[in-house]
Amino acid sequence: MGRVLNLVLAGVGGQGIVSLANVIANAALHRGTNVVVAETHGLSQRGGSVIVHVRLGDAEAPLIPVGEGDIMIALDPLEAARYAHYLKQGALAYVEQKVTPPPLPGVKPPSTEEVVRSLEEAGLRVRVVPAIRRAQELGNPLGANVYMLGAAMASGVFDGYLGPEDVEAAIKLVLKKPEKNIRLFRAALAEG
Amino acid sequence: MKEVLAPPGSRVIMLGNVAIARGALEYGVAFASAYPGTPSTEITEALSYASRLLGAPYVEWSSNEKVALEGAIGAALAGVPAMASMKHVGVNVAADPLFSVGYMGVPASLVIVSADDPGMWSSQNEQDNRIYGIHAYIPVVEPAGAQEAKRAVIEAFKLSEKWGHPVILRSTTRIGHTRVPVETGEINLEGIKRKGKFEKNTERYTLVPAHARKLREELVEKWERIREDLASHPLNWVEGPEDAKLLVVGAGLGYRYAKEALARLGLEDKARLLKIGTPVPLPRKLIVEEASRADKIFVVEEGDPVVESQIKEALYDEKIIVDIHGKEKGPIRRTGELTLDNVTAGLARVAGVPYEAPQPPRPRISLPPRPPVLCAGCPYRAVFYALRRAVGKARVRPIYNGDIGCYSLGVNPPFQMQDTIVEMGGSIGLANGMSHTVEGQIPIAIIGDSTFFHAGLPGLANAVYNRAPMLVVVLDNRTTAMTGHQPHPGIGVTARGEPGYSIDIVDAARGLGVEYVKVIDAFNIKEGEEEFYKALEYVKKEGKPALVVARGACILLAIANARRMGVKYTVYTVDLDKCTACGLCYKAFNCPAIYPGDDGKARIDPLLCTGCGECAQICPFDAFHPVEEPPEEWLRIMRTAKPM
Ligand SMILES: Cc1ncc(C[n+]2csc(CCOP(=O)(O)OP(=O)(O)O)c2C)c(N)n1
Ligand code: SF4
Repeated sequence: MGRVLNLVLAGVGGQGIVSLANVIANAALHRGTNVVVAETHGLSQRGGSVIVHVRLGDAEAPLIPVGEGDIMIALDPLEAARYAHYLKQGALAYVEQKVTPPPLPGVKPPSTEEVVRSLEEAGLRVRVVPAIRRAQELGNPLGANVYMLGAAMASGVFDGYLGPEDVEAAIKLVLKKPEKNIRLFRAALAEG
Repeated sequence: MKEVLAPPGSRVIMLGNVAIARGALEYGVAFASAYPGTPSTEITEALSYASRLLGAPYVEWSSNEKVALEGAIGAALAGVPAMASMKHVGVNVAADPLFSVGYMGVPASLVIVSADDPGMWSSQNEQDNRIYGIHAYIPVVEPAGAQEAKRAVIEAFKLSEKWGHPVILRSTTRIGHTRVPVETGEINLEGIKRKGKFEKNTERYTLVPAHARKLREELVEKWERIREDLASHPLNWVEGPEDAKLLVVGAGLGYRYAKEALARLGLEDKARLLKIGTPVPLPRKLIVEEASRADKIFVVEEGDPVVESQIKEALYDEKIIVDIHGKEKGPIRRTGELTLDNVTAGLARVAGVPYEAPQPPRPRISLPPRPPVLCAGCPYRAVFYALRRAVGKARVRPIYNGDIGCYSLGVNPPFQMQDTIVEMGGSIGLANGMSHTVEGQIPIAIIGDSTFFHAGLPGLANAVYNRAPMLVVVLDNRTTAMTGHQPHPGIGVTARGEPGYSIDIVDAARGLGVEYVKVIDAFNIKEGEEEFYKALEYVKKEGKPALVVARGACILLAIANARRMGVKYTVYTVDLDKCTACGLCYKAFNCPAIYPGDDGKARIDPLLCTGCGECAQICPFDAFHPVEEPPEEWLRIMRTAKPM
């Protein structure tokens, strides 16, 4: 079996995790990289916790084994911590800065700082990204998913599997308002 | 969805379910029926998309799975290739015709897609529907992942055609909801437009005992011939060294896990891998041949040990004694879905090779759960709130018989108004039994509009007939929301986007003889409280069923309708001078768009607010106001929106 890059996408239903996975899958196809994406649909989408497994390269099975994820992109710190065990020791986690509190009466969630500390203590490398804020500032409030991908790609973790041109081609193919999203993606690449 | 119509010869990213739809189109399915259910829904959504553009095949959302399968049987008897798709529990609803159709056989191919949900991502149980195949004498084809989904459905149709027998295509969540590159072939345009003709064959198509007895003899004999034939089926094959002592059997998606686990452990050259795409009836010849050379067998399959137990049966009959490992005695867990961790560790143990599972990062932090919740602006929040107040005012001790739909989420705090949830239609069904047996309590059946048409009608007829004192609350949100907003018989739009008849729930209830029927505006809490109160009083006094239809569109549907019509809704805001930080709105009402500021006073997230106006009705201090007067059009759409 050849190389596999295991990417964990985590967040809250409605944040665009599944669309992001679709962008990545189409980018992989554009590049000629094999890809398997296992999604969460249905009940969990009503504001529930969402995880999507993306496996780039020579993967057969749809799910990433526990402890073998290479990269995480999380649009919520709590969800990053919830699925951290899918990652390898030392893996890189790109984590959104803003906590989306679970809408349960009387629940006070931990802060981003607390979560990040726990992730680092558990052996992960964490990059906090203000994707929700930047997407809003750049006039595309629903684009935090794309921004996050740009921020992660900027550091070279996808080299050999995907490049920015593949992502842009995929955005054109599968997202609404592609120009807006490409602008956001480029901004993230530059700022990342 | 557009990828379902990608030109032939292209390679496109598709969801497994869309690949199943594409496969059906390439084969030339002419009739496709379904009732929505995760993880099967996108098959029919993709077919409906294709049908709108191509003018064929005929696609329908049926009123329930039994009706869907009966329709597909009818189409197949009329001579056109047919398919009925449903989630695993839908097959329970369709089980009655399913057990008959094997006896009759079909003159054109008939495929029943069962989408099983191991891990219960969105279901009330885990059930392995390959067992239905054994029980009903219907062969089962199982794709090895989304990668093989398109090919498998085509093979399922071909198998059905070859034997004049129905075939089950068994998918699972990680097949239907996995996205992979798929190569497209030609869509069979002539096939999907085909019209049929029913040819009488009374001895075959009328299952009176005299006919059925003969057909049963034929069926049992045919079953063994099918089994033999399947030994050379193109979805079954073997890989790896012939002289290996370890035989790994990978059925369906289990094949992918087995293959990757073998690679991870460096065992590709030391084990034989038998890939099974037709788990039922298990081709004995294949397994006996391979097993006779092995001294250990390791079976990987999603769901129950269906292949494993058939292997054991086959080898027992042949007096072949080997160690068989799988799910019956481990090492693979019988509950939940397959994972590569579990399969790799199990394989290592069976093969006797070292394997050290990685030590994953385990952050030491306590995380609040994040269960799914009713959307901001969901009409159900207002209905639950009003109903609870009415129950208090009427001083009744309620039993909330819940049902399957978004309103199931009412099981969680703050409402906790779902005391039972069994299956679709179970709300009225259970209330029937309780209403005749409890003292001092009143059953309140809470049922959605789609569920009402699916399985609520017979229960309601029973309640009227047997005079069951209960309150039935029909949540008419104009759609089947939980599964992604499909239309239903109350809507008047078909799966192909054509006008259909819209059956009014009020007429249906009156027609069944319910004497007390009221319609309320789901978004109007005061009206709801009053009407629920009156209805409860009626039930108490008259000892008969009362029915209240709470009408108000699923807010997501309303927003989608409004967007299409160019109508904007108005968000709400908090007057901090009036807010007293009582917390009613974010605790007892628990709208996800409302959160407490550091001062405990309410704030509204304008990105989440949907302008439903419910908060303004519950706040005792009049602190919520729309930022501007809501347009009349929006208020109308909130009550009348429907799927397109
Ligand atoms: C037999 C069966 N078929 C299908 C499903 C899938 N399913 C779960 S919820 C649901 C929607 C019910 O619609 P409705 O009653 O209108 O409630 P809503 O989701 O709109 O609140 C469906 C179809 C199921 N659970 N059981
Ligand atoms: S999808 Fe519609 S019915 Fe379901 S919770 Fe959201 S608003 Fe309510």
